[in-house]
Amino acid sequence: MRNYELVFIIHPEIDEDTAPELIERVENLIERNEGKVTNVERWGMRRLAYTIKGQDEGSYVLMHFELEPQRVKAVEQGLKLIEDVIRHMITRREE
Amino acid sequence: MARENNEGRGSSRSRRRRSHRRFRGRRRYCLFCAEKIEHIDYKDIDLLRQFVTDRGKIRPRRQTGTCTKHQRQVALAIKRARHIALLPFAGEMR
Repeated sequence: MRNYELVFIIHPEIDEDTAPELIERVENLIERNEGKVTNVERWGMRRLAYTIKGQDEGSYVLMHFELEPQRVKAVEQGLKLIEDVIRHMITRREE
Repeated sequence: MARENNEGRGSSRSRRRRSHRRFRGRRRYCLFCAEKIEHIDYKDIDLLRQFVTDRGKIRPRRQTGTCTKHQRQVALAIKRARHIALLPFAGEMR
């Protein structure tokens, strides 16, 4: 298991009530790949430095998790399939 | 105003010397070494902003005084920040 950090941006038209559902979907995705989510942090709505999918703002979520390195690709693939996640990035986290 | 604009042309000697120092405060040491920052976080945009020009380009070491090791880390952090739209790829900041 290795520590990773994920930041993703939720489409701004997703309202506050459905956002937690979406975050849970991402958590499930990680858990389905035998990962363990250790921390979730919401930054809230932020202005984007440039437009993504025609949007100039989005809701940021930071997630820390443990995962087997060979599973990262599958999680990445899964994230791409969630359309309301307009951008994501997984980076390795060193202690 | 007009006088200042002529500075770059180097009329007087003392002025000329100053015109070469076009980068703010000749810092000859690496900020990260001085502050003992080991890991440069891509989320720390206030810090990273100091290392990009107002057009969004990564500033060279000769301007910022960053050491080789930390310049590499800064560049990586900036690229990551750009990917998640915390910093622009080009153009000024809003």
